[in-house]
Amino acid sequence: MAMMSTKRLQKELAELNGVKGTPPTGISLLSADNLASWRLELQVLGESLYQGETFAVEFRFGSRYPIESPAVVFVVNDKYKAPVHPHVYSNGLICASILGNEWSPVLSVSAVCLTLQSMLASCKEKKLPDGNDAFVKTAPLDPKKVRFVYDDDTV
Amino acid sequence: MKVVVKDWHSVAHWRWATGKDKDKEVTATGGADDEEDEDDLCGICRVPFEGCCPNCKVPGDDCPLSRSMWCSGLLACAERFTFVPPVHGKCTHIFHMHCLLKWIESAAAKGLCPMDRRPWETADR
Repeated sequence: MAMMSTKRLQKELAELNGVKGTPPTGISLLSADNLASWRLELQVLGESLYQGETFAVEFRFGSRYPIESPAVVFVVNDKYKAPVHPHVYSNGLICASILGNEWSPVLSVSAVCLTLQSMLASCKEKKLPDGNDAFVKTAPLDPKKVRFVYDDDTV
Repeated sequence: MKVVVKDWHSVAHWRWATGKDKDKEVTATGGADDEEDEDDLCGICRVPFEGCCPNCKVPGDDCPLSRSMWCSGLLACAERFTFVPPVHGKCTHIFHMHCLLKWIESAAAKGLCPMDRRPWETADR
């Protein structure tokens, strides 16, 4: 199994590096020192509430990728903040069905980034998720340990 | 000047007929087309259908699914190629047999096709 994840991640990395193919616009690789954890910078293209803002997302891959979904969070540190969005908690955790029960092994790092870009682009109001403060106080930092309920299809 | 042929090797190029690249099969006979097309790759592992299962080092003996013979050259033994062909779904999507089984066996799959999330049904070929 590990072989499958290694081979696929190497291919994806070559694409994101621009070694083979071109990375999607608005997405650039910040770091990928190994095949377990990558960081990418993400910008929302076109007119949106997030124009001019730059975010960073962190991907963590298990040995069962792509059969199992990667753990994806927005980076929150001195340099980056999580976008203010009804599906993104201020600690960076993302509530998106494709990262949970709608994951498919044909999805990829760039496909997830594109989904996050379009999720932000279609946002009508910058608003934190309901119950953000309470969630952030108690939530584990590993999104895989959170059971999200996907009840809002509007953004 | 005379040319004497001392030795010759015949080389055959093969690919699975996935039904997606009919035109290409005709034009690619020159063998110059090395570009990987998305259509020729298994969507799960991104390896060409002609390649071996990603967990196998060589197509053949090491692959528990295929029990096939890895033949190094001569056309004469071409019939011994018994690689497991890619698996086709009734939804027309195609994957390596190995890759699809891995997905379908996982709880996250819920028995759905990775491409269109419809219940996976293997097509008779």
